[in-house]
Amino acid sequence: MSAAGSSNPEFVVARVRARRGQLYGDEEYRKLVRMTPAEIARFMEESSYEAEINALGSRHGGVDLIEYALNANLAKQFEGILDWSEGALYDLIARYLRKFDAWNVKTVIRGVYTGASQGEIESDLIRAGEFDDRRIRRLLEADSIDAVVEVLEDTIYGDPLRDAYAEYEESDVLVPLENAVDRVFYERLLENLPGGEPIRQYEAFLKAEVDFRNATNALRLARSGAEIDPAEYFIEGGELFTRDTLARLARNVDELVEYIAESGYADQLGPALRELEEANSLIAFEHATDAALLAYGDRLGTVHPVSVTPVISYILAKEREVENIRAIARGKEAGLSADDIESELVIT
Amino acid sequence: MLEATNALGNAVLSTGGTLTDPSAAAALAVGLAALGAGYAERGIGSAAVGAMAEDDDLFVNGLILTVLPETIVILALVVVFIV
Repeated sequence: MSAAGSSNPEFVVARVRARRGQLYGDEEYRKLVRMTPAEIARFMEESSYEAEINALGSRHGGVDLIEYALNANLAKQFEGILDWSEGALYDLIARYLRKFDAWNVKTVIRGVYTGASQGEIESDLIRAGEFDDRRIRRLLEADSIDAVVEVLEDTIYGDPLRDAYAEYEESDVLVPLENAVDRVFYERLLENLPGGEPIRQYEAFLKAEVDFRNATNALRLARSGAEIDPAEYFIEGGELFTRDTLARLARNVDELVEYIAESGYADQLGPALRELEEANSLIAFEHATDAALLAYGDRLGTVHPVSVTPVISYILAKEREVENIRAIARGKEAGLSADDIESELVIT
Repeated sequence: MLEATNALGNAVLSTGGTLTDPSAAAALAVGLAALGAGYAERGIGSAAVGAMAEDDDLFVNGLILTVLPETIVILALVVVFIV
């Protein structure tokens, strides 16, 4: 569990591939869609979620139990991957998993801002990132945003958060703080990547993710018609947009759709874009970007079998599974029909 | 030190050049083959242990795959008997 020494992709990839085989497939999803939340929990207990369901079963019930079990399992799996990997491989995986650190920091800040209790915040954290338990506990014990910033002083989020805090104190909105956290994550993601063909592919994958995130944000802004500066939400590092093109395109949905349709992602996103034009459904577009990323990750995982890419492909697939099960459970709770829920799932 | 090296060189040359001796070349071949096998087993072994950690039933398969590169050394050993 360190960034020193040589890396051990063989070991990590073998374990990750075995775990990947345990993920739910079409068949399981079809069964899950027809179950009640209690049955879903029981179904999960009989698969790889057994330990989490048993541990949390006495404290929570129904959809909450499923949700917390999913988060706990996700955290355990990703923490495990970071534990096993060494050397350059650790660095490459940690880059990606820092998004959970970013998520946790944002959750804590929001929790403190809205005055949520420590327990409430804790149950929403996903302990999958690089922060250890001690830092998370200190984060939870912080009773003001100033204290949160102080706890993070010696991490990569320290200085940007300090700057954003001044801005927060003036305006009393959380956007600067959240943007600062996101920006640090994305900057670190693409910074100083080592050489080599698999790494180039990994970089291309990360850039695609940044592009998709930018595209989704721009589409949301364009459709909402809100008077927000799109450049505020721009994430550096992608290839599709620059700050200026995004700012210009976000004012007009049609132009934006056209721009994406003519880009290198046309093949993967084409059908979704057509649907977006016809049905005006942004959900389909977001699912299409997710599915495209999944497929891209899968392909990379087979092209370079002994590198970081199969691991990333597993991380994506696992996240997707967690989101799918959550969608099923929440949909069931809200009383949606099986067909409606199925249209919410992203299955490749 | 230098004189010693010179003396060694002279001794080698006078006895007919050890490194051009066929059996020395065969020994080198076996040694290099073993090195290659070891390197291959390093990767396969760590992958096999990873797979076993996830599923105990893979022990036999893992063991077989791990020792498979050992065949290179056995083939290289044939050279020793030929020369």
